[in-house]
Amino acid sequence: MLIFSVFKTLTDQTVTVELKNDLSITGVLKSVDQFLNIRLDNIKVADEGRHPHMMAVKNCFIRGSVVRYVQLPAEHVDTQLLEDATRRDAMNQVKR
Amino acid sequence: MSLQGYTDRRVLLVLQDGRAIVGVLVGFDQKSNIVLSDCKERVYSADEGVEEIPLGLYLVKGEMVCLIGEIDEAIDSSADLSTIRAEPIPPIRYG
Amino acid sequence: MLPLSLLTAAQNKPMLVELKNGETLNGLLINCDNFMNITLREVYQTNPDGDRFWKLKECYIRGSTIKYLRVPDNLLDAVKDEQNRTRDANRSSRGGHTGPGRGAPRGGNFLHTI
Repeated sequence: MLIFSVFKTLTDQTVTVELKNDLSITGVLKSVDQFLNIRLDNIKVADEGRHPHMMAVKNCFIRGSVVRYVQLPAEHVDTQLLEDATRRDAMNQVKR
Repeated sequence: MSLQGYTDRRVLLVLQDGRAIVGVLVGFDQKSNIVLSDCKERVYSADEGVEEIPLGLYLVKGEMVCLIGEIDEAIDSSADLSTIRAEPIPPIRYG
Repeated sequence: MLPLSLLTAAQNKPMLVELKNGETLNGLLINCDNFMNITLREVYQTNPDGDRFWKLKECYIRGSTIKYLRVPDNLLDAVKDEQNRTRDANRSSRGGHTGPGRGAPRGGNFLHTI
């Protein structure tokens, strides 16, 4: 849930999603759900010449299970806050 | 769910095995199971133009879904598939 | 239109099922459940390479092994007509404006009707 919350704070930011088939897609994060499925608007596929398959696609839905990495805008992520929240989360997990 | 805006629109469905299917999104559920009507597979090749194979009405399991893109009809209809040369999309690899 | 609704409406209709291992099975749908486990009748099974064939009277397929199903094109229209008829019948039997119960999903949890 924690990473889901991080994504929710990043809506309307530009991110780059690298998929497990090596495709890289940059776009504006419009929404995310509990499975970390991602909706991106105004997409640009990296190396478009090799991947004309998505030429007519301007926005897309990416299934969370096929995502390898999501590159986030560093200036919009409070890493200290995230670290603290993660520690608290981990402690609560241990307690349970 | 994020797929709501796509119903009754033409979409590109990329499957985990790399296949590219174009069709009208009729329905979906929380597991990303998809119903596509009037769909066609677009087969890409480095040597020849894109081949379109009509498929009909399909129900695709959510686990097979990689990506669903909304097709901009203006751009798609202006594209000449016979001139496009490209390797097929690689399959998803876990690991 | 929910995928499972379409499948349930496809009972007794012919379909092609492709499994994750590449096998295909052609047959008539007998039944299905929420996991998309299905039973087929009068089945023609083909191996992944397409060079071996079997005929089975009946078979059970676990939903988790399915890649996709191809169903008859006219099924979509048939199901939509059926849904419209049921909806109209409900509306007229309840008569005029209805209370909060109208439009409630048919017992689904987070599945929605389009």
